[in-house]
Amino acid sequence: METNLISVDDFCGHYKVATDFVTSLEEYGLVKTKLVNKAVFIDADDLTGLERYIRLYKELEINLEGLHAVSHLLGQLELLQNKIASLKNEISYYKQLH
Amino acid sequence: MEYIDYYKVLEIKKDSSTDDIKKAYRKLARKYHPDLNPNNEEANKKFQQINEANEVLSDPEKRKKYDRYGKDWQHADQFDAQQQRQSQGRGRSGGGFSGFGGDDFSDFFSSMFGGGGSRSSSRSPFKGQDYSSELSLNLIDAYTTHKQTLTVNGKQVRITIPAGVENGQKIKLTGYGAPGPNNGPAGDLYISFNISEHPKFKRKGNDIHIQEEVDLYTAILGGEKIIETLNGKVKLTIPPGTQPDTTLRLKGKGFPIYKKENLFGDLYVKWQVKLPTKLNTQQKELFEQLSKL
Repeated sequence: METNLISVDDFCGHYKVATDFVTSLEEYGLVKTKLVNKAVFIDADDLTGLERYIRLYKELEINLEGLHAVSHLLGQLELLQNKIASLKNEISYYKQLH
Repeated sequence: MEYIDYYKVLEIKKDSSTDDIKKAYRKLARKYHPDLNPNNEEANKKFQQINEANEVLSDPEKRKKYDRYGKDWQHADQFDAQQQRQSQGRGRSGGGFSGFGGDDFSDFFSSMFGGGGSRSSSRSPFKGQDYSSELSLNLIDAYTTHKQTLTVNGKQVRITIPAGVENGQKIKLTGYGAPGPNNGPAGDLYISFNISEHPKFKRKGNDIHIQEEVDLYTAILGGEKIIETLNGKVKLTIPPGTQPDTTLRLKGKGFPIYKKENLFGDLYVKWQVKLPTKLNTQQKELFEQLSKL
């Protein structure tokens, strides 16, 4: 599968954050970087998540430990929301049958 | 147009200090920030309200104007004229967030302060929120390319499901997520498939496995049997002396391979030799004779 990579330096420059921030996020397992020709990149698919961490960090002053906890809880929330959506779809499927 | 009590929105008293306002705003923002409330329209609306309240109350000029004309905003123009005579070009002191959907200032706000607030020009575009949904299919549905309509966040989305999708597989529909705030690109829609098992056809990757019964006499003497496959009936030859659990492979009669036109997995047919359970006297005698040969 083809992936688009974004340089961490470019990303940090654009969002005015230190590259250490991305390194710390990686240490907490919140983002994965790739090393290509000695330059560090992030996957374009991870961009939305990374932008969210920056907003939470800058705007709500949530520290890295907090981001880690938030990420875990948002994951749980997504699972529950998916489960609800799936059950709703199932209900509408059975309603159509009757 | 309805009057909005910004003090009530921020849950503070009318004589609250700038610090109190800031604290109240931050506290509520942590509660209602859209990043912490995915797919929650109510929280998004509340966040816009507290952003708007903060925009007004954290700016001394706007707060003064609001306190004076709040309930009687139609006369706010007079206040503006008076202010223009005094001084112009004061900067904003709100220190608000970049916000989401911040263009949705209330009519009340626009009427009193005009436009969408001073911060709109500095807001950067964001990609909209990604949505995710799960779609339940049965195996027969997943066998053919077909269209389905599903409801995501109250909107009907019609999608084409390619034949051969797997259980748990996730597909991304770019741009089908929430609209991007501040003219940012729309988010994406992720759909994961939940494919229920079929009582007869068991899928393993692109192959299908089935079990078919064959009576003792056909297994010993050989014969033919017509079986159902996912794309029609097939006549199979059963060679004499077929052993129980013998498996036969029918090439290209399995499941379609995802996004590879006219390519299919294989169908594996396992013969279950069915032994007679109730023998009459004559049959029993014949079996006894056979056993002595």
